[in-house]
Amino acid sequence: MARLDKSRTSSHQLRPFFTSQNLLNRADGSAQFDFGGTSVLCSVVGPAEVKIRDEKLDKATLEVLARPLVGVPGVKDKTIEQNIRETLEPLVLSGLHPRTLLQIVVQTMQDDGCVQSTAFNATMLALIDAGVPLNSILGSVTCMIDRKTNQVLLDPTREELAQAKSTHVFVFDNKAPPAQSKGDEDDVVMEDGDRVEGHVLFCESTGVFTEAEYFECYQVCYKGVQTVHGFLRTAVQKKFEKEHQQLQD
Amino acid sequence: MTSVAATSSTFTFSAAAFQRLHPAEYFRKFVSQGVRPDGRLLSGFRPTTVHKSVVSTANGSSMVRVGGTTVVCGIKAEVAEPTLEAQDKGYIVPNVELSPMCSSAFKAGPPSEQAQVVSDAIDRILKDSDVVDLEQLCIEKGRAVWALWADVVCISYDGNILDAALLAVMTALTNVRLRKPTYDEGVVTVSGEALTEENSFSLTLTRTPLSTTFAIFDTPNNTLLADPNSAEENVSLGRITVTLDEKNQLCGVHKVGSGSCSPALIKSCIERAKERTQELRSLLA
Repeated sequence: MARLDKSRTSSHQLRPFFTSQNLLNRADGSAQFDFGGTSVLCSVVGPAEVKIRDEKLDKATLEVLARPLVGVPGVKDKTIEQNIRETLEPLVLSGLHPRTLLQIVVQTMQDDGCVQSTAFNATMLALIDAGVPLNSILGSVTCMIDRKTNQVLLDPTREELAQAKSTHVFVFDNKAPPAQSKGDEDDVVMEDGDRVEGHVLFCESTGVFTEAEYFECYQVCYKGVQTVHGFLRTAVQKKFEKEHQQLQD
Repeated sequence: MTSVAATSSTFTFSAAAFQRLHPAEYFRKFVSQGVRPDGRLLSGFRPTTVHKSVVSTANGSSMVRVGGTTVVCGIKAEVAEPTLEAQDKGYIVPNVELSPMCSSAFKAGPPSEQAQVVSDAIDRILKDSDVVDLEQLCIEKGRAVWALWADVVCISYDGNILDAALLAVMTALTNVRLRKPTYDEGVVTVSGEALTEENSFSLTLTRTPLSTTFAIFDTPNNTLLADPNSAEENVSLGRITVTLDEKNQLCGVHKVGSGSCSPALIKSCIERAKERTQELRSLLA
């Protein structure tokens, strides 16, 4: 079925990715991540001095500031800040830098839908760029269910999101399933026999949807995130190859 | 249990001291036995009560207690101009207040991050899940609409504020009574006489979503704690919130923090949320 976004032919197709790392001179790490017409720039500063009130004795304090495309940060941005911070807290090996601050600023540059997913991916690349120790890499995509056709659309544009019955943001890491995983018992088997697999780090689903629709989105996003992980890997690899060459010259 | 011996030495101290010094470890000892310090089972919810129409000056109100958490919600209606995007729709603005009165964890001043995030979560449930058809709130297209200010004040904070606040907002919305206004050449008149069946109307809710929250306590197989209190929120790293309407359709699934979760774990949360919201609905009826 045709999408509103004419540049794509399939409902499970992602928009072209783009990334650029180390854009900002004064930050310890920075990265820009684009999903088609959506672009987010992220900077990382740290380990830096922490306010006494926020100081944690055994680990680093994470601070995330989300900045909208226009205007001053509002309530919606606070939600994004909390989501990113609470998802990253178990990922960052913050015990290595106790009593310090790790400040992450996420600035939306262009908004054509899926800003939160783009922000997650940009933050991940910026953290890698800053050399912050992490225990795994996350990747994120968004999908939606169309109000009229009940079709699951991966990585919707803003125009498509206006037709959404529900939207789903998913984040998955690149780790193998945890050691205590019970293998097949962890999966959910759908009525049509499809298996839903993959361990989710973060998910935010809003709107009205059924359980079957939720797990269909889960599966579609899990597959989508594998592509994002592949891309993040290539991006980091290329960056290090370039840096290595510069060192040798 | 009056004293607990540290495993590798003869040094002993009281259970209360152990709880203060190593809250997570103290908690882990309970969880490994399948109970929680307040006597609940891991899947147990705290006793919940709902009172309707507790504020006589508000158009709709409610008071909800979930264990030690108490919230009061008052909905006040005001005649306002419609927004430019929706000329024939009124609006509902939820706002959650977490003041230093309800817990020492909150400081005075502008709304804390948590208060803003909970307000935003309720706002999104109301908007994205299409809870109220906002055309009911239209007085005169393009001129005047009802604005409903849904203020939730937390009186006592003991964890799981989203579930309590959403339950309070939904209860208050069901008992909102609005006077039928008259519109005449730019002037809206709302009579001050006593409310009767004829001169007022209630809101029709498309659905009433209610949420159920589970804290994820960091054990090798991710122990779920239903309806966490504030001590449990502090020791657990993540949470899963499932929102369901009366037809058991999902209106929200939110998982954040604490490492990765399997689809089966999320499914079990949805199943348990179904039972819990059924119980809550009997309180609303």
